[in-house]
Amino acid sequence: MREAASDAKSGGLTLSGLTKHFGSFTAVDNVDLDIQRGEFLTLLGPSGSGKTTLLMMIAGFLDITAGDILLDGRSIRDVPAERRNFGMVFQGYALFPHMTVRDNIGYALDVRKRPRAEIAARVDEMLDLVQLTEFGHRKPGQLSGGQQQRVALARALAFAPPVLLLDEPLGALDKKLRIEVQDQLKDIHQRVGTTFVYVTHDQEEALSMSDRIVIMQQGRIEQLGTPNELYEHPRTRFAAGFLGKSNFLTMPDGTYALRPEKIDIAPGGQMNGTARLTGTIRGITYFGAVQKLMVAVEGRDDIEVDVDSWRNPHALREGQPVDLGWSDTAAVRLEDT
Amino acid sequence: MALLFLVLPALIAIPVSLTPKRFLSMPKGDYSWRHFEFLFSSPEWLSSFAQSGIIAVSTAVLATALGTLAAIGLWRVTSKYSEMVRAFLLLPLIIPQIISAMAFYRLLIPLGLLDTYAGLILAHTVLAAPLVLITVSASLANFDPKLEQASRNLGAPAWTTMRRVILPSIRPGVFAGALFAFILSWDEIVVTLFISKFNVYTLPRRMWNGIRENTDPTVAAAAVVLIAVTLGAFAVSAIVSRQRAQTALKED
Ligand SMILES: Nc1ncnc2c1ncn2[C@@H]1O[C@H](COP(=O)(O)OP(=O)(O)OP(=O)(O)O)[C@@H](O)[C@H]1O
Ligand SMILES: [Mg+2]
Repeated sequence: MREAASDAKSGGLTLSGLTKHFGSFTAVDNVDLDIQRGEFLTLLGPSGSGKTTLLMMIAGFLDITAGDILLDGRSIRDVPAERRNFGMVFQGYALFPHMTVRDNIGYALDVRKRPRAEIAARVDEMLDLVQLTEFGHRKPGQLSGGQQQRVALARALAFAPPVLLLDEPLGALDKKLRIEVQDQLKDIHQRVGTTFVYVTHDQEEALSMSDRIVIMQQGRIEQLGTPNELYEHPRTRFAAGFLGKSNFLTMPDGTYALRPEKIDIAPGGQMNGTARLTGTIRGITYFGAVQKLMVAVEGRDDIEVDVDSWRNPHALREGQPVDLGWSDTAAVRLEDT
Repeated sequence: MALLFLVLPALIAIPVSLTPKRFLSMPKGDYSWRHFEFLFSSPEWLSSFAQSGIIAVSTAVLATALGTLAAIGLWRVTSKYSEMVRAFLLLPLIIPQIISAMAFYRLLIPLGLLDTYAGLILAHTVLAAPLVLITVSASLANFDPKLEQASRNLGAPAWTTMRRVILPSIRPGVFAGALFAFILSWDEIVVTLFISKFNVYTLPRRMWNGIRENTDPTVAAAAVVLIAVTLGAFAVSAIVSRQRAQTALKED
């Protein structure tokens, strides 16, 4: 297939100074971003941070207020949505309800006037990719949420687009199904080699699936990096609090972010002089694998400490005085304080 | 009770049409089909049926096309003016029929369309198109705009998107509008009286004259047929939508 041959060499996206105003409101604010060919890039941010707006500008459904979008170095600013050749998985899927699964998946090739035999073969291939071979003749309304999600994915990938845009594609699924589909999505990404730009506000999803994550806030890029970089070295208070949990410690030289699971805890006086803080356990919440302990420390906010339940070496109780300690690398100094 | 009140006038036509007498009267125990036999053997009445049918079908086709286009156009362009345009297009529904009738009369004279099929079809289309605009707009309000975006995203130009995604989704509204347009034209009398004379003689027109000039029970028989066709049209649409619902159900 023609596109399939070309997509291996295509799919690098560059956003430069990309800005979107709605009236006097700035939804996307001067975003610069290089998206590598074949990369799985996630836009992560709270509601209203401009993720969908950014995606809709890339897809060509929203005019650009300022800046430019380049595909493999060429501006696509003036290319209409129907000629951008980007696949898109919409929030809520937007499957055509009056068409069968096969017709939905074949739609992009059909409107490109491909021969019937070629379309049928490609649809078979896509059905196989998303493991829905049995369901080709059903209508979308006869499928479960997870199956519809896979049809939407197959439809968007059928014409081998260089870039696939996904707007919270798993938002409507329950938690167990989400995790299952996350694995399938990652697997499919590796097999097709298309650039994925993935929008979510679920931090676990972002951490487990992405090559790189863009944390967005108020239309701006807060921080960009691999999941590990972002988790281990958050630069701002917002990044540290939004991706995973953090305690914030004010020290003479600035504010530090400290992950709850990186704190050692022991009954008061048992840390042999390595204790950095002392306090009292104010509450224990049990989550199965872990327990969250809230420790009241004089002169500071409560500090959350996560302990693996199976370890709980000291049978800690509420009201008990404790020592807290951590290694030098555990606390990360934030730049924005 | 209220329902009875509404349908009573229509139901009275049935016994009257079966009277054996030569004037409008309730039959007293003896029934006859003679007025129906006359109705279906009279060249004048048959020609009126045909004329009404032609005009109503043409009106339905034209009004559906125009009303649907207008509805989609207004749905696409959401500017502050589009609501004004919509209100303007709905005017024929609000203006008293007698005033529309006079307006059409004045309009059709210079066009030379008075007392022609084209003139009647034009006038009925203007009256019926707003009904289609309403039903199609209602369907469009339920249409998920993401479907249109999805179609464009998959590479379909505007026209293809219209034909393959938008139209199939609003089909019920288009059908309902066509049905209303047909019925409006099929029993329209006020405007018709003004703009037709000898050449075009629709069914309601002939009934109107029949009542005024003599008390021929054939009018009652014609009324029964008129109502039957209207009910028939509704029944067809009900069956169609029922079947659609059932196939949808089977699919679920
Ligand atoms: N058409 C519009 N007109 C005016 N404001 C808009 C429009 N679309 C979006 N906005 C505003 O732009 C901001 C960003 O919206 P956007 O939909 O991109 O957020 P998001 O990050 O996708 O949020 P969510 O996670 O809730 O989907 C919001 O404050 C929203 O109110
Ligand atoms: Mg969104």
